[in-house]
Amino acid sequence: MSPVQTLFSLGIALMVPMLFAALGELIIEKAGVLNVGIEGVMLIGAFSAAVGVNYGNGSIWVGLLIAIGSGIVCGIILALLYVRLGTDQIVTGIMFNILAFGLTTTLAVKYVHASQSSQFPDWNIPGLHSIPGIGDVLFSQDVLVYASIVIAALVWYLTRQTWFGLYSRAVSEYPRAAESAGLNVWRLRYVAVILGCVLTAVGGAELFANSGGFVAGYTNGRGFIALAIVVLARWNAFYVVAAALLFGVAQALQFEADKLGFLGDVPSHVLIALPYILVLVAVVFARGSRYPAAVGIPFRPTRSST
Amino acid sequence: VTAGSPALPPRHGLEERLRSLTVARGITVWSLLRVLAALAATLIIFAILLQLLGSDFGTAFNAVIDSAFGNSFNIGQTLMTASLLIATGLAAAIPFRAQLWNVGGEGQMWFGAFCTIGIALTLPKGLAPGLSVAILVIASMVAGAVWGLVPGILKATINANEVITSLMMTFIAIELGNWAIDGIWPQGASNETMSVPSNTLMPNIWSGTLVTWGLPLALIAAIVAWAVMSRTKLGFEIRAVGLNPQTARMNGMSVSKVAIVTFALGGAFAGLAGSIFILGINGALPAGFPLNNFGYLGIAVALVARLSPLWIIPSAVLFAGLRVGSDGLQASTGLSTTVGQILVAVFVILLLAFRLIRFSYPEVASR
Repeated sequence: MSPVQTLFSLGIALMVPMLFAALGELIIEKAGVLNVGIEGVMLIGAFSAAVGVNYGNGSIWVGLLIAIGSGIVCGIILALLYVRLGTDQIVTGIMFNILAFGLTTTLAVKYVHASQSSQFPDWNIPGLHSIPGIGDVLFSQDVLVYASIVIAALVWYLTRQTWFGLYSRAVSEYPRAAESAGLNVWRLRYVAVILGCVLTAVGGAELFANSGGFVAGYTNGRGFIALAIVVLARWNAFYVVAAALLFGVAQALQFEADKLGFLGDVPSHVLIALPYILVLVAVVFARGSRYPAAVGIPFRPTRSST
Repeated sequence: VTAGSPALPPRHGLEERLRSLTVARGITVWSLLRVLAALAATLIIFAILLQLLGSDFGTAFNAVIDSAFGNSFNIGQTLMTASLLIATGLAAAIPFRAQLWNVGGEGQMWFGAFCTIGIALTLPKGLAPGLSVAILVIASMVAGAVWGLVPGILKATINANEVITSLMMTFIAIELGNWAIDGIWPQGASNETMSVPSNTLMPNIWSGTLVTWGLPLALIAAIVAWAVMSRTKLGFEIRAVGLNPQTARMNGMSVSKVAIVTFALGGAFAGLAGSIFILGINGALPAGFPLNNFGYLGIAVALVARLSPLWIIPSAVLFAGLRVGSDGLQASTGLSTTVGQILVAVFVILLLAFRLIRFSYPEVASR
């Protein structure tokens, strides 16, 4: 493959963790909750996948299963805090990230072998794989890459075409009215937060699978980039794919720059920081993008025991 | 019908009675009980965690207390760590008061440290120590303010989500720090930057310990922040915007100005933490420093202090004790020093869950 092809091939692989996280965040924000704890959920997902691989004889599928389980647990805890107890979503999220960092770093000493890694199997799509030029790049990826695209389509369908999407839009824009119309705001948000956290944790599992072993503070802001991706994509699941790809390729640059010639002289630290700088540019670019009105604001039902 | 006895006040339950018992200004027995419950729950979770990792609670608890407060040297270490947390706590507390979420104190501290080293290495060698320290402290506060201004201005002009932007600035600053360590000012074989010249180091003020001028500087910062917040027009505007931006705007205050000023102020305090770390504690920027998360922990410090600048001091000492205690924990049980961060996070999350830390929100209006 030519350097440019390698860049995009790698960019697609690196896109996937952020894509899963961003799709999860999209579902959550569309129900009126801002999950700043996304970074921590992703980190716990990656750690859980590492533990699963460690105790599952190196099988990444066991890792994926444990990661999904950890996503459900994180989702329940965060839903209780954000929704039931109505804690401030931003500070709770930040504290959850510190908790996740401390917990995974402390537990990794005992439960994860640094060198143990495992990948999702590659799948060359028959026929399409042999298209010259783009076949190697697009159709010779690991199975989670294809899965992420399918899930993006499903999330688009879920948020745009189903009763769940319609109700959650109401709940995220004007929950009081949704409540008067007979919706259970809390129950909808519980489902959204748990579902979103599962997707985010799967992203963490792919992050673990992409690289050789678990390291402390491994996510390095990928979860926070996913927060920006959702804003940039204006809560549209298909645009999320495009935005995630942009940041995937930006991350791939640091590994491929020396082969691309024209980027050979740029210091590697600048290339590592490039995705974060790109987020700032993207934020300016997406300045018209408006959060759903009730995002970040806890909701208290009119008739409630507490 | 009207002559009947007036409706009796509702019968007070135990909770109601505890709620109404006031200990000090605004602090009720009920809230104290909830703090104790949060503390107890944190310790129980800690004990479970230690069981999982194969250590016992008593040994660990003694190790933490001993290495944090066991002798004057250890107390000194705790106080110096506390001075960092006071500064990063202020960096969070001031914008939070205006309901602006500066969660990038970590990055503002890093950029302050980065500039401190860069300028310290270029200052003339013959400069008087006091003067060079003063220049560097001011420079790093300006650097932190600049780093904080980016999310502040983006918030004020295009209403960009300051959580995202301040976090991105953090990752950029950390990468700058890594660059300083292995590219710009590397120190031979050891994994840190060059040490700053000795005439730029903060003088020691407590013999037998490593306490330097960093501690009084942090205390002064807390007092200045308190004075600004409670004794000036600016502080009033910050608090007014935090309570209700709409009302503040209708009373002629500029919400944009408050966003820019609070982020600059917060950044300056975080920058101070950077210079205290370099000039008052370590003398160089080591690799692996981000594991300490002092900037993020400042948020926890500020929240536990309920965003009040003076309460940040005891809150910082508490968390610094935990941080320094974790070193002792590592020595005696082999646990990672990050275990202290678990405790801090669990404690603050429980305080949030028990509604001991609360924020007010406007009801979402129909558009």
